Amino acid sequence: MTRLTSYLRPGMALPLRVAGSVLVLVGALLPWATFVLNDGPYPAKSTLQFFDAPFEVGGFRLHMALLGLAALVVTFAPVPGRGRILRGLGWGAVLVSAVNVLFIAYNGGGLGAVTVADMPAFGGLVALLGGLAVLAGAYAGGIEQPVHLPTGLNRFVAWAVLLVSFAGLLMMVAWTLTAGGQGGVANPYAGAQFLSFLGFAGGLLAALHGAGVLPWISRLSEDHRPFSIVVLLGCALALPFTGAGTDYWMTVAANIGVYAATAIGLNVVVGLAGMLDIGYVAFLGIGAFVAANLSGAVAAKVDITLPFPVAAVIAAVVAGMFGSVVGSPTLRVRGDYLAIVTLAFGEIFVRSAQNNIGGLTGGPNAIPGVPQVSMFGTGFSEPITLGGTKLPSGVLYYFLTVLLVALVMGMFANLKNSRIGRAWIAIREDEDVAKAMGISTGRIKILAFTVGATTAGLSGAVFAHKLGTVSYESFKFLESVTLISAVILGGMGSIPGAVLGASLLFVLPEKLREFSDYRLLLFGLALVLIMRFRPQGLVPDRHRRAELAGEDIEGRPLEETVSEQAHLPTAAPVLPGEARA
Amino acid sequence: MTTLLQQIANGIVLGAVIGLVALGYTMVYGIIQLINFAHGEVFMVGAYGGLATYTWILPHSMRGHWQITLPASMLGGVVVAVVVAVIMERFAYRPLRNAPRLAPLITALGVSVFLQEAVRLFYPDAKSARPFPAMFVGGGLRLPVPGGQVILPWIRVALVVIAILLAVALQMYVNRSRMGRAMRATAQDRDTARLMGIDPDRVIVLTFVLGAALAGVGGVLYGAYQNTINVDMGFQNGIFAFTAAVLGGIGSLRGAVIGAFAIGLIKTLGGQYLPGGTQYDYVWIFVVLILVLVFRPEGLFGEAEKVRA
Amino acid sequence: MRNQLVKSAAIVAGALLIAACGTNKTESGGAGGGTSCDTSKGTLVVGVVAPLSGSLSALGLGIKNSASLAVDQANEKCTVKGYKLAVQAEDDQANPQIGAQAATKLSSDPNTVGVIGTLNSSVAQNVQPVLKAKSIVQISPANTNPTLTRGQNFLTAPKRDFPNYFRVCATDDLQGPFAANYAVNKAGKKKVAIITDGKTYGDGLAGEFRKQLEKLGGTVVAQEKVGEKDTDFSGVIAKVKPSGPEFVFYGGEYPAAGPLSKQMKDAGMNIPLFGGDGIFDDKYIELGGREGDLATSVGAPTETLASAKAFVDAYKAKNYKESFSAYGAFSYDATNALLGSLGKTIGDGGKWGDDQRSKLLDNVGSYSATGATGEIKFDQYGDSTNKLLTVYQVTGGKWSAAESGTFEK
Repeated sequence: MTRLTSYLRPGMALPLRVAGSVLVLVGALLPWATFVLNDGPYPAKSTLQFFDAPFEVGGFRLHMALLGLAALVVTFAPVPGRGRILRGLGWGAVLVSAVNVLFIAYNGGGLGAVTVADMPAFGGLVALLGGLAVLAGAYAGGIEQPVHLPTGLNRFVAWAVLLVSFAGLLMMVAWTLTAGGQGGVANPYAGAQFLSFLGFAGGLLAALHGAGVLPWISRLSEDHRPFSIVVLLGCALALPFTGAGTDYWMTVAANIGVYAATAIGLNVVVGLAGMLDIGYVAFLGIGAFVAANLSGAVAAKVDITLPFPVAAVIAAVVAGMFGSVVGSPTLRVRGDYLAIVTLAFGEIFVRSAQNNIGGLTGGPNAIPGVPQVSMFGTGFSEPITLGGTKLPSGVLYYFLTVLLVALVMGMFANLKNSRIGRAWIAIREDEDVAKAMGISTGRIKILAFTVGATTAGLSGAVFAHKLGTVSYESFKFLESVTLISAVILGGMGSIPGAVLGASLLFVLPEKLREFSDYRLLLFGLALVLIMRFRPQGLVPDRHRRAELAGEDIEGRPLEETVSEQAHLPTAAPVLPGEARA
Repeated sequence: MTTLLQQIANGIVLGAVIGLVALGYTMVYGIIQLINFAHGEVFMVGAYGGLATYTWILPHSMRGHWQITLPASMLGGVVVAVVVAVIMERFAYRPLRNAPRLAPLITALGVSVFLQEAVRLFYPDAKSARPFPAMFVGGGLRLPVPGGQVILPWIRVALVVIAILLAVALQMYVNRSRMGRAMRATAQDRDTARLMGIDPDRVIVLTFVLGAALAGVGGVLYGAYQNTINVDMGFQNGIFAFTAAVLGGIGSLRGAVIGAFAIGLIKTLGGQYLPGGTQYDYVWIFVVLILVLVFRPEGLFGEAEKVRA
Repeated sequence: MRNQLVKSAAIVAGALLIAACGTNKTESGGAGGGTSCDTSKGTLVVGVVAPLSGSLSALGLGIKNSASLAVDQANEKCTVKGYKLAVQAEDDQANPQIGAQAATKLSSDPNTVGVIGTLNSSVAQNVQPVLKAKSIVQISPANTNPTLTRGQNFLTAPKRDFPNYFRVCATDDLQGPFAANYAVNKAGKKKVAIITDGKTYGDGLAGEFRKQLEKLGGTVVAQEKVGEKDTDFSGVIAKVKPSGPEFVFYGGEYPAAGPLSKQMKDAGMNIPLFGGDGIFDDKYIELGGREGDLATSVGAPTETLASAKAFVDAYKAKNYKESFSAYGAFSYDATNALLGSLGKTIGDGGKWGDDQRSKLLDNVGSYSATGATGEIKFDQYGDSTNKLLTVYQVTGGKWSAAESGTFEK
């Protein structure tokens, strides 16, 4: 980046920015596709529609127009961090136009689909150029230091800000889920529209980040932690009331919840204690099979039926016991070997389940017919009506999983800040030093496994009832890899990271079902790329970020901190070249 | 009695294949302390490379002669496997040389999934199993033993012979040649080796190349002796090979080979005699792995792992 | 730090973009091309739930393509008046929870008239309740587990839990005993070693085979299981050989059965291998099947059935990337059953709506026609009434019919 941007002079900044924003705006209104594609006209009336009803643009064209407008306004308005904001907006514009241009070109059989000699169907290319110009203008004008907005606000003002921002987050999530509509024969462009929306959302978020708004909100939420938690919980529970409240999304969201809870448990083992466990899904399976057997399903071996909360607790306990069993032999083993041992345990579980060990797992026939959880008078799979609004079926399972995730998150946060949590982090950083400091590493490591396994067992119980069937096929090695990826992608050791990781890994394959052939291919590629370019994950834990990405606790790059410290006036003379640590 | 001897023979054959793959694991781990999860997929890619050579490069007239098809397929398999391994090392592992241990491990998992899917999607008709040409038609070694015969088709004999030859050759190379000395030096202490004038990058690439070549040969021979290959064959054999390497002592070539034969025998004899039979033979290998890692992590021939700073 | 975020976002988006370039154009084939049919009332969707990615994708894609073929033909023949038909295939990744999500997605679209699927019985167990809640017809081309139609106690107290579920393939309790009858009565072989791959289909089939065999006085000298991805059978062959079986019955599919047969011969065990419709595929012979190996399959021999030949020719003409594999013909018949019943339900000027669903269910239940696999008709549990089975034998390098018959319990 720096090599390219060195060609830009500050004088070019203003014209570039203005030209860029105008081009983006114009591009949004031009037609994008020159003919009707095989599957139907491209959405947002972008086929051959030229400046027609400019205030009625919708879909991705609306996104482009908004980006262009915002860029234009920011170029002239006296906002701090202008360069950073424009950089974010520029990227957004580039991504949206690139996605749509590529998709139309591919579907239309070549660049002819986006360029026409006799009619100005250049919308895509114009917008792309505009986005690049905005980017260039942003760099030419100089990227400022990160903006720090004031944080010492009155409590109620802070609360108001938090309420608004979390409500915004909720709307963003709902829009992301419903972006592009539900793919299918009637809507073959869903995947592309979804990607385009992601580009738009990404650009918007980058702009907000550049303006310093996002770090400000996160600092505010840390200062007013209890309030933030309550509001977040409320927003999560409010999701079924938004546009994403359909049967389909409730099912997906409930599954995400189960996997997110499991991922948080895995985070204890991997993120906090630093032990790589790639057979972890076995604990989810153990919990699920125990719950299935105690649920009174016809195929269950055991003939007891217990109410759901009791069965869930038993499932968690049993899984926890297995966790200690797995944990003990691993005490003497480190690093890579640990990973292989856990892999071996995972495979032993799958094989045993497939062979119906002890008659408990149903083998290849699985244990079908696990009844729904039934409390407060309704089965959890029925649609209900709350306060006049009809909610989709499965919504009660969704609420249950939100509760589960909240519970697990709370437990995790408590543990992380406790002595045990600190002991885990110490073991992760350097086990021998930890032992020298008097931590009984053996017991603490087994505790990590036990806690993680218990969490997975609890999630497994919910999983069994939600899905209705428990089969060994749900717990294969690939699922373990997916769980690990969710933790890594989201950020090791960070709670929101695990939830984000699990969500991404579940939502993306659902939204991009057109690309289902390439799902695993992209998945493998993504793992490689993430470890190469962003090993600390998307929402990194502060310590991890410092460790892996060369930043200090505040999030500023180390070079900045060091140079800043070196310029501070000191009482005593400092030897040349000596900087404060 | 015949069954016992037959199972032993089967175990040795399986051990030969696993040994070829295990050598690659042990060498790479010895030099960069990385469990290359994707090595099993290199084995699989080698097999597909051999198949591709046989199907498209070899003229039809030569197909019946094993003296031509066997070496040609092996060569094809080796070339493909080596290319894949070099690319893997250069783009996935080298940038992470100094990263915390977790990163290359996850990357290896990612590469493994990627390779599997890439072959499944892009090799024609690879979504289900592909037939692999049998190099030798009919016949085999029939050894009379008390109670009957132990039957070993020629391809299996070839497999064992080639595996042993290659292992011995590798051992001689590592112990006697200059490059081999450089490899051992880099494995011992990379920075000092660099001070001594050895370029660690070249040595590491060479390690990957050798490991991949062996795995490629193993893949082609495995395909020939089973008459079928599919994209999943790398995962299971990879785990067996890794277990073998660990059992023998990771970092030790001799250990990898002996460990491999041990694993082969455990699988066949365990499947025959232990409770649970062939349903759980896979499981017994894992139990062995866990026991070894817990009670004697340095394996049979390895040295206790020095704690690295 | 932000550079990294931006860089990584760009890379992720770039990777997704590359995927966008590589889109498998699955829908565009069917939607294009003008037909002379009246399609004024809209589009109706035939859902397909099968594994389209992963290790079973060859079978799942065969199912999807065959369903597409049936839908294309129906569009040309104007089977459903006033509506265009389209296929929407959803990947279930052979994973029960993804299957449930796929089914929920399809069921939330009011234009979905029915679902063809699934391949795996464990996925079907999760899909059935979702589709039942919306009374959407489900016809499976490949589920063989009897509990899906007749409940957990299918032998003693059969009960139809899911009135919306049908299947066109034979269940294990037909094929297994039929094979046993042939083995003992026609081929005169009584000592058998059973090998299965541990999956629902293989174990179920082998179980039923064993029961009938023992009833007829045969003996099972050995029973072993191999791993589902195993291709090295030397261990299990050496274990089974000393007990001196006259043939081996294999419960599983051809990717493993072919090599097993060849390795049996290499090890000196030159006895036939007998399997179910899972091994009845040309690939089996390529992969190592030998002269004299046997397999059962549903329906009359393909050479004698004009409809089967027509299907094979039509499938080839469409140039799909994958072959129709084991369940393509069943999928084709299932789709035709659905579409034929749909045509009858809508009639000449009717309109599709939720109120038509129960009528459609009844019509499917009473559907009767001849398809690529023989007679397509359902009994009161939703099972196929096509009890006509054929034993095939590998002769001269190809499968040829040895005997046809029906199996009555």
